[in-house]
Amino acid sequence: MPSDEGVLDRLVDWVHTTDVFKCVASWTLVPYWARRTPVKPLPGGPHPSFQHGDNVQCMMNLIMPLKVKSPIGRAEAALAIAKNKDAIYAGLNNVGTVHFARFVIVGDNICMFSVYDGDFTNYIRDFIATIGEVFNEVVKLVEGGKKVIPCEKNVEAFIQWVHEHDLYQVPDTATDFLRDQEDLKGDRAVSPVDDDLTLLPRKLVLQLRANANISLGSGYRAYPGFSVAQVRKHLKLGW
Amino acid sequence: MINLADLQGNILRGYTKKPHVRYLILEVVDRSAARLWLAASVSGRNGVPQITSGDWGENKPDTCFNIGLTYEGLCALGTPSASLKMFPNEFVEGMTARALKLGDVGASAPEKWPAPFNEPKRIHLIATIYAEKFEQLNEVQKRALPDEKAFRLLGTREGYNFPGDFVHFGYRDNITQPRFEGVHDPERYPDRQPRAPLGTVLLGHPTNLEGLMWRVPHPVALGHNGTFNAFRVLKQHVADFERYLDRAASYLLEHPQGYELLPRGEEEKIGKGPSRRAALREIVAANLCGRWRDGTPLALSADAPDPNVDLTDFDYVGVGDARCPHGAHIRRCNPRGGQIVQRIANNSRRLVRRGVPYGPPYNPDGPLYDPAKPYDGDEPERGLLGNFIGASLGAQFEAMSCDWLNLGLQDPRITGSNDPISGTNDPGTSWFDLPLKSGDTIRLHGLPEFVSTRGGAYTFLPSLKAIEYLGSPM
Repeated sequence: MPSDEGVLDRLVDWVHTTDVFKCVASWTLVPYWARRTPVKPLPGGPHPSFQHGDNVQCMMNLIMPLKVKSPIGRAEAALAIAKNKDAIYAGLNNVGTVHFARFVIVGDNICMFSVYDGDFTNYIRDFIATIGEVFNEVVKLVEGGKKVIPCEKNVEAFIQWVHEHDLYQVPDTATDFLRDQEDLKGDRAVSPVDDDLTLLPRKLVLQLRANANISLGSGYRAYPGFSVAQVRKHLKLGW
Repeated sequence: MINLADLQGNILRGYTKKPHVRYLILEVVDRSAARLWLAASVSGRNGVPQITSGDWGENKPDTCFNIGLTYEGLCALGTPSASLKMFPNEFVEGMTARALKLGDVGASAPEKWPAPFNEPKRIHLIATIYAEKFEQLNEVQKRALPDEKAFRLLGTREGYNFPGDFVHFGYRDNITQPRFEGVHDPERYPDRQPRAPLGTVLLGHPTNLEGLMWRVPHPVALGHNGTFNAFRVLKQHVADFERYLDRAASYLLEHPQGYELLPRGEEEKIGKGPSRRAALREIVAANLCGRWRDGTPLALSADAPDPNVDLTDFDYVGVGDARCPHGAHIRRCNPRGGQIVQRIANNSRRLVRRGVPYGPPYNPDGPLYDPAKPYDGDEPERGLLGNFIGASLGAQFEAMSCDWLNLGLQDPRITGSNDPISGTNDPGTSWFDLPLKSGDTIRLHGLPEFVSTRGGAYTFLPSLKAIEYLGSPM
């Protein structure tokens, strides 16, 4: 099909793909945009939804920067997990709503990735009640963690702290991303949502400047959502 | 023992002898005047009605008067920002911001709430008057609001306890409340549930989750012995409910396993005469709730209502587990000692629940529905003014609402379904399983939304010391 773009359009489309432009833009244009239109980091965790299927197999992606940024700090974190392995299994068993939980060290961060059912605050609160001491052992190694431990005595603050370390999950559709940005404005949000798709790249760049770590999507399932207990019951494992 | 004189009386008492209830929804007009009003309310000075405490002493009060403050109310009264920061997120954000967690979507969405709940940030204080006689409500309201110097009246809601504690759907209500450790229990009814720690309902005391304490806003005078309330205006679609029972009964009449629910010849046991349809309607109603309409728990008597069984002394284990539907309303709200997915949550999400019906009764000739009477045409607004009281809105009221009522996460046999009575149901997707003696189930479909939210607010119920603190000069 013949293109109806002019020379200028083709130039604009081409120029932003060049390394020179990316380099210059990172140092000049992006800080300028950020100063003109400040962007807050979008909150982490799954998008609130009332659909049953959206409320099972939810993803948590915690990135927690270690206080001691060295092989010693990373080893401390590894040992804290290793020595509490049995307690973690007991916690999974008693809380009953977690499909998988993984601890990963990436650079100088201890990361916890999990897949859980139901409300995020209930999930974390139930874990505090079950294996709060394990959380305390890990979180004391993390920047800013000291102020929220022992988690048993700082339940609300601890849940909030975890939520703040949970990665923003970029929606799969561009308009939902724009809606998230608009929601951050609270009462000042415009309705209908400002959905000018030509602004999407700029808004995404600014969000990634404020929020370096994000989750692309909310996890992709190969089958519809089921709860842990539904899977266990179906497999006759007891629940 | 807890000092009951420091607690607002409506936390541990139901005021059952005072059937008339009026809620005054108020906005602070002048901070200083409002603080003076609060100071006066502690002792009942200057004509302001006295806050009813949990200790009535020798003389029972003629009327009772209690207050709850929203987060905006605390701000309007000039509460220090260091104290405000210590209140939990859910209270700070307010009920409307938590709509998805509470199932307030569709017809229940806050955008559809009528005044004064359409402007939630203007709601600062909700005062409640409880009285034996209707005229007393007016008299106390006049004393509480002689002018608009301190507060502006944004609206009122009024309810009346029907005789026999029946509510609009025809069930007996107000049957049981948690009993608390360290609190004298004059009724001493048998109950297999353990006594709840005081931290279930009061800030500053141990909770049911071992070792966990909820944050108490400082100073101690403000937070200690306070608690939170989810006040809800819940519209009940009674005609829809009764129509649904008709449809379900028709379905069961034709169902090949319908005889398992109701063997032929046993219709009269249900108490609705010889009609098989009428008996099946009542069986469905009982299963949706978990109690027969007279209050008999299905866990103790699944085949028919029985006036001789205890209304509170039961659990969902053994026969009680098998015969009460896993998705029944009272079981979802409080699974007692029954098996649930979140093992540590047994007994940890308990709430004090106090409700009073509003609007005209569905059938003016009696508390129970009579299928011989025609349905109301345009159903007038009627429902329940509900108070759900607990020390943590997030860990109790919201946890129950989102994971248990509207997701069914506690039991894989009901996951993906909503509470059959109070859930946000869509007839296109809703379902409910009736258990049969054989272990099979009959699945009902097409349940509409029987209850819609028409307003509400999260309030903090301060102790008497806290009211004194909030009323002190700035």
